[in-house]
Amino acid sequence: MKPAPFSFVAPESLDEVVRTLAEHGDDAQILAGGQSLVPLMNLRLARPEVVVSINRCHELDYIRLVDDRLVIGALVRQIDAETSPLVQAECPLLAKALPHVGLPATRNRGTVCGSLAHCDPLAELPAAALALEAEMVLTSAAGERRVPAHDFFVAEMTTCIEPGEVVSAVTFARQDPSERSAVREVSNGGHVFPVGGVALRWASSDGICTMARIAAFGVGSVAQRLRDAERALVGSDVGPAAIAAAVAAARSEVDPTGDIHADADYRRHLVGVLLERGLLEEERP
Amino acid sequence: MSVDQNGAVGQSVLRREDDYLLRGQGRFVDDLPTPLNTLHLAFVLSPYAHARITSIDTSEAMALDGVVDVLTGADLAAMVKPIAAQIELPGYSFNTRDVLAVDEVRFAGEAVAVVVAESQYLAEDGIELVEVDYEPLAAVTDIHEATDPAAPQVNPTVPGNVYFEGRFATDNVAAGFDAAAHVIAEDFNSNRVTAVPIEPRGCLAVPEQPANLVFYSSTQIHHLLRTALAEFLDVAESTLRVVVPDVGGGFGIKAALYPEEFVCAALALRLRRPVKWIQDRYGALLTDVHARDNHYRVEAAIDDDGIVLALRAEIRTNGGAYSALPFGCTLETTGGARMIVGPYRITEYEYTATAVATHTAPVLAYRGVAQPVCFMAIEGIMDRIARRLGLDPAEVRLRNMVPTAELPWTNIVGVRYDTGSFVESLEMAMEMVNYDEFRASQAQGRLVDGKYRGIGICSFTEVSGTGAPGWRARGLTRLPGFDSGTVKVEPTGKVTAFVSHAHSGQGHFTTFAQVVADALGARLEDVTVVEGDTAAGPYGTNTFASRSAVTGGGALIRASEKARLKLARIAAFMLESTPEDIVVADGQMHVAGVPSRALSFQEVAETAYAMNTSDLPEGESFGVEETDFYDPPLVTMANATHIAQVAVDAADGTVDIEGYVVVHDCGRVINPMIVDGQVMGGVAQGIGEALMEEFVYDPDGGVRTATLMDYLLPSSVDVPNYQIAHIESPSIDTVGGFKGVGEGGLIGAVAALVNAVADALSDLDVNVNTKPLRPALLSRLIREAGG
Repeated sequence: MKPAPFSFVAPESLDEVVRTLAEHGDDAQILAGGQSLVPLMNLRLARPEVVVSINRCHELDYIRLVDDRLVIGALVRQIDAETSPLVQAECPLLAKALPHVGLPATRNRGTVCGSLAHCDPLAELPAAALALEAEMVLTSAAGERRVPAHDFFVAEMTTCIEPGEVVSAVTFARQDPSERSAVREVSNGGHVFPVGGVALRWASSDGICTMARIAAFGVGSVAQRLRDAERALVGSDVGPAAIAAAVAAARSEVDPTGDIHADADYRRHLVGVLLERGLLEEERP
Repeated sequence: MSVDQNGAVGQSVLRREDDYLLRGQGRFVDDLPTPLNTLHLAFVLSPYAHARITSIDTSEAMALDGVVDVLTGADLAAMVKPIAAQIELPGYSFNTRDVLAVDEVRFAGEAVAVVVAESQYLAEDGIELVEVDYEPLAAVTDIHEATDPAAPQVNPTVPGNVYFEGRFATDNVAAGFDAAAHVIAEDFNSNRVTAVPIEPRGCLAVPEQPANLVFYSSTQIHHLLRTALAEFLDVAESTLRVVVPDVGGGFGIKAALYPEEFVCAALALRLRRPVKWIQDRYGALLTDVHARDNHYRVEAAIDDDGIVLALRAEIRTNGGAYSALPFGCTLETTGGARMIVGPYRITEYEYTATAVATHTAPVLAYRGVAQPVCFMAIEGIMDRIARRLGLDPAEVRLRNMVPTAELPWTNIVGVRYDTGSFVESLEMAMEMVNYDEFRASQAQGRLVDGKYRGIGICSFTEVSGTGAPGWRARGLTRLPGFDSGTVKVEPTGKVTAFVSHAHSGQGHFTTFAQVVADALGARLEDVTVVEGDTAAGPYGTNTFASRSAVTGGGALIRASEKARLKLARIAAFMLESTPEDIVVADGQMHVAGVPSRALSFQEVAETAYAMNTSDLPEGESFGVEETDFYDPPLVTMANATHIAQVAVDAADGTVDIEGYVVVHDCGRVINPMIVDGQVMGGVAQGIGEALMEEFVYDPDGGVRTATLMDYLLPSSVDVPNYQIAHIESPSIDTVGGFKGVGEGGLIGAVAALVNAVADALSDLDVNVNTKPLRPALLSRLIREAGG
């Protein structure tokens, strides 16, 4: 379980990082927390020729508010985002998603941006990013572009990051304090990957739902916005009938596959169960 | 002479191991200082379950800088004889295994070549460059399909893929079924699992001059390994020394003899350089022995009171592609067939037990061996009797159990239960869990607040401390049964105790010291335990199947008594008394009734070692070093009851364990804290087996669970708080009165949890007869039943 030969560089600035990436293109791979990359390298499923560590780029270790967005830099560890008062106040949905990510030990190293860039279909953060209408800041030697979450996540383990680009930050929509949000998932055990989950937030005015953002993970090859379920809620009183309609919509708009951990029917059933629990804010794991 | 001191046995003495292990100062194989010029191994594993090897091109790997050699099956066959388990059962199909596959691979993960390199990295670079051409062949992995006449043949010497079929029947089984008011029948399916110790396997072979080899291995069976290395490598056993450093969990899977060990030793001898091999997790999952891929069909003939009149079992176990050493592929087969009768008065019994060959990893011992499954079956039958007759499951068990007053009792397959507490352990567990209250609460319906609540019992016997007759009864004629102890009182009066065991975390340095302190009359802190080294102390059968307390404890007690008698003879001579009048306490010896006429162990030992001016008694030999051996009876039977309370979520199928109690009886308890630890760890593994774990092969034999992302292990958050209580029914058949406790935690948890889930869902028309019980399965059962 040893990686194939690679060379290692640890630049100290984002400028240097993107220059290194420009030089090596496809052969380079960013190392942040390493919680996914390093196991993949040890299994020789990932074989980068150049590993570019951003762990010395302290300029990327920040959480701040910029206008109506919460911005998290590429070096922010998941545990630091999870415990950040700013994240808890401005993006409670993100704060609720983070405790589900891996284990405390992996969250001490794993980064928010790293999990998004990894794009595991079972990961919570891509779904949270969809629900929070996140934008990825992709930086390269040519400059910077911003990609909304729904364009960023392409397929299983596949994003729109081009060779030479690094996710230098992610920005999330600040949540209104009146919003409700929830993350619900089911796993086959306490410390293993989920078999399905949802991340959602919604707002209401005078008892009528004015906004809903719902995303599911683990029920397809990539995290997915559940727009039919959202439509079933917006304009409703989020009462039993509306929830039932949203659950039915969610189950029909996902297209899960079965594997050794759960069959497709269960995952379809589950997405409805978890959506209902999330909307009712039932405190169940 | 007598011992007069407060016993160390029975005390929760803190583990001597914890301080250094918890500080990270343990020395496992990979932590040993690597000698200069050590070579490292990596194995090329077959991705196919069944294939012909048409060619292997090693030239590119050989050309890699730092690669010293690349060897194939043919190369190794010239150095190591084919390895084989010796099973003497009528009809057993003898089969052998080449340490690296020659011509044909028979399971995914079987090694076909080995790269020897200057570093682990280079060795792993090397295996990528070995080009193996395979011609894939049809494979069979399923235990039922394996015996289809059209199934591909796994092993040329195993016709029809049947390794062994055992049959047994008492005279009146058919009459019992004829007389039955009801017949309760069920099929039980068990998932293939493996132990996954936190430290994978590994070994380091160091040649020493002139021709010796020191072989460090993460094994549970150092003496058996040494003999096997000598035998299959054809070298003098006396030139080999096997040393077991700290071992990070064995759980039975390290009580097997593996090809990598033979390859590592053979290469060290050939190259005359140290050779090291450390397994990775991928290799561990694919090539460690597996367990529990079993099917049980059980039929019970019962009367109207739920009394079992006769029992039939058809057992089929998957032995994998080769019969693994040293216990062979029949271990689960004969084990389940003999153990299923448990604590019950089964008077008519018939079984057919079949071990089949498939294109899967070899199957051998994993904590509990067969018992988690055979008790899932018999305890599942007890619950089904209760449901059929409208009785309480506990009541059905109580009616069928052998009461304590009838012990000693010999069961239908000839195993003697000398002492025990079947009824008492069940009653105590019921009280601890407020059983009657829980049942009363179920009367209003099992579905409350979206969860189905149920309770499950497993009352069971636990095989431990098996002696030679026990192995003979299962066809294992080359497995000794005895263990040995040597007790040495040093010139300073301190005590070194050698025992033929090897710990993998059980706390032997503590518990054996407690046993010796009491038997010798020494102070606990003066006793040091040495084990896991074939150069220290005599031969033994080593550490598996919950043996060490019974066999090592018994041997050490006997050796201690001999040493104590010698000390007493010398002390009596020095004190001008008689040995019979010497009282030993806390490392001191005095004349009975005259405490002032006393000598310390040191003063007596100095005489023994001629390090003072006292003479030895006439005819007494120098030193104080006594050895004895102990072979326990057929089987030393412990027992326990586990009761689990669960809540099954009606919507998502998840299982919460809301209550868990264990009442265990391992006879005389050496260290209650360590016994609790054994139970807790076992229950955690039982939770994994019942609810999470499953090793999955594709129908064509490809591996679907090659990492811990897919092979799901329980962790601390899956383990509930539990209550553990003990009943002590000291064995009257063993020296010391000890019974084993290593496996009961796992055995009881599986059936208790499966039965609890079945009970929770018993208002629905569903059948819970398989494991693991994952949310998707339970949710489907609930939805299909309209729940």
